[in-house]
Amino acid sequence: MSHPVFMWAAARPCRSDRMRTDAPSVLVEGVAKAAPKPAPRRRSPALRRAFPYLLLAPALAYLLVITLYPGLFAIYQSLFVVKFLNWTWAGFDNYTTILQDREFWAALANTALIGAISLALQTGIALAIAYFAYRDPLIRGWRIVYLMPMLFMPSAVAFIWKLAFNDGRVISDLLGRLGLIEGNVDWLGSIWLSRMTLIVADVWQWTPFLFIIFVAALQGQDQEIEEAARLDGASWPKIFWNISLPMMRPVIVVAVTLRGIDITTMFTNVFVMTQGTPGGATETMSYFIYRQGFRMFNFGYASAASVLMLILTVIIAQTVVKRAFHSGKT
Amino acid sequence: MAKARKSRGESLLLRYLVLGGWALVCLLPILWFLSIGFRPRTEVITPRPIYWPSFSLDAWRLLISDWPIAQYLRNSVVAVAGSVVIDLALAIPAAYALARYDFKGREDIGFYILSTRMMAPAIVAVPIFFLFKTLGLLNSVWALMLIYAAINLSLVTWIIRSYMLDIPKELEDAARTDGAGDLTILREIIVPACLPGIITAAVIAAIFAINEFLFTLLIASTSKAYTMSVALANFTGGSDGIIYNAIALVSFIAFVPILILVILIQKHLSRGLTMGAVKG
Repeated sequence: MSHPVFMWAAARPCRSDRMRTDAPSVLVEGVAKAAPKPAPRRRSPALRRAFPYLLLAPALAYLLVITLYPGLFAIYQSLFVVKFLNWTWAGFDNYTTILQDREFWAALANTALIGAISLALQTGIALAIAYFAYRDPLIRGWRIVYLMPMLFMPSAVAFIWKLAFNDGRVISDLLGRLGLIEGNVDWLGSIWLSRMTLIVADVWQWTPFLFIIFVAALQGQDQEIEEAARLDGASWPKIFWNISLPMMRPVIVVAVTLRGIDITTMFTNVFVMTQGTPGGATETMSYFIYRQGFRMFNFGYASAASVLMLILTVIIAQTVVKRAFHSGKT
Repeated sequence: MAKARKSRGESLLLRYLVLGGWALVCLLPILWFLSIGFRPRTEVITPRPIYWPSFSLDAWRLLISDWPIAQYLRNSVVAVAGSVVIDLALAIPAAYALARYDFKGREDIGFYILSTRMMAPAIVAVPIFFLFKTLGLLNSVWALMLIYAAINLSLVTWIIRSYMLDIPKELEDAARTDGAGDLTILREIIVPACLPGIITAAVIAAIFAINEFLFTLLIASTSKAYTMSVALANFTGGSDGIIYNAIALVSFIAFVPILILVILIQKHLSRGLTMGAVKG
């Protein structure tokens, strides 16, 4: 059965008996006893045990410098009020201020809200088009066409939609021609219209990410079950709900988790399209940190926000993400 | 049977409505944006949008004469290619250790590497900015190279690890009985056998690096280190407003090579994007 195999699952101990019973140390000794061939280079047991760590060391060192150092730096800096080169000790002042800062909570809420709506839409659209496309004879063509939005630089995509919604008034004009609206809509003028432009840009660019994964999952699953249901006269929505969808569940969980992580870091579109307007309704966490740090030069305050966001990330990584990857075992 | 055929016929009409509709959603903005790249500036921002513009190479001339586009392109290529080389050099041994050795803490180390992918760039933006400032690396292509490598290291490691797990153990065992050391096995057997995975990882890392925006914005503060992605955001030349036709043209210059690369690795794309979780 060609069900998509989950490699995360393969990393779990439950499968390691198959993958790794013949650990190198055992093998080397076995070979040495057989000994007709040239004996392998002898290594001390200590070195042999350290070997995988040595292989990992450069990558880990690099990642630690780029994650642990910034983490510690942010914690340290968050205890100061930083004005240009002047660092003044402030204790936990930044944190007490930020926890009462309505802009901070608004940014958190906006990130969750815009992200959730966007993610739901992408998942729904990607599932629908993947289901209709995967058995289609033209699938190779569809796949390339649907991929294209994802292959544009995000900053370019942000400009496409900035021009379409605001500067070029194309969307207003098209909706006007359809008789849906009159005149020119100020897309940055209302909270929900402004958020919607961000959602449209994100859905347009990133639905392909989910689509590609869903199509691969559908193509990889056992076709015979579906075919049998079809011959029994089941309608396609029934087949989709009762057969395809449950079979794809682990893939959907992993793909949506990965996409969800990326959505929470939304920055480029906000930077180019809305800059947080109107009144901070489209300010995401990433933009909040950027604005506090690099526009208002409150580096200590920005670091405090970074630390809080880091704590949230770690919690989400340890719970949601770890569980999502484990569910791949089923 | 008749019922089954009927329901299939209905879904065929619906199928092409859905697929065709979404294809239009994907293509129309792209075609329209392409038309922006080849129209005069006077026809970009108008009271009513112009759908059939006159053809012009204004943007092209602007890029050639006013903007050091060759330099932005070179910055992008150097930073991206360099970061991919760093990633492969670090990730291949790491992936090999994760895929083939049993050692204490393997699970946790693997998950730690994976979890660095979840970190929002904004979280580390301020400290990284100060780090590079201290190192005197602000505004240099080298800094971008190091950052891109860090962003993609987890992804590259996990993709390559996934492909390494697929290599049959027997291949290595045979070499080992011939007396080959672990590093020789990695170089002579593992790397060639998972070459598709390595190429996939490299292409996906390159795409993410080309697209990177926030760090590039912070680190590359003058045109000396601008890459294509951030150069775009700076076509907002003061009193001229945003120079959309130049932006459109630049984004297509970057789009074409990416499209070609992705078509080449199409078969491996779903596996690469899920960091090896879903085998296409």
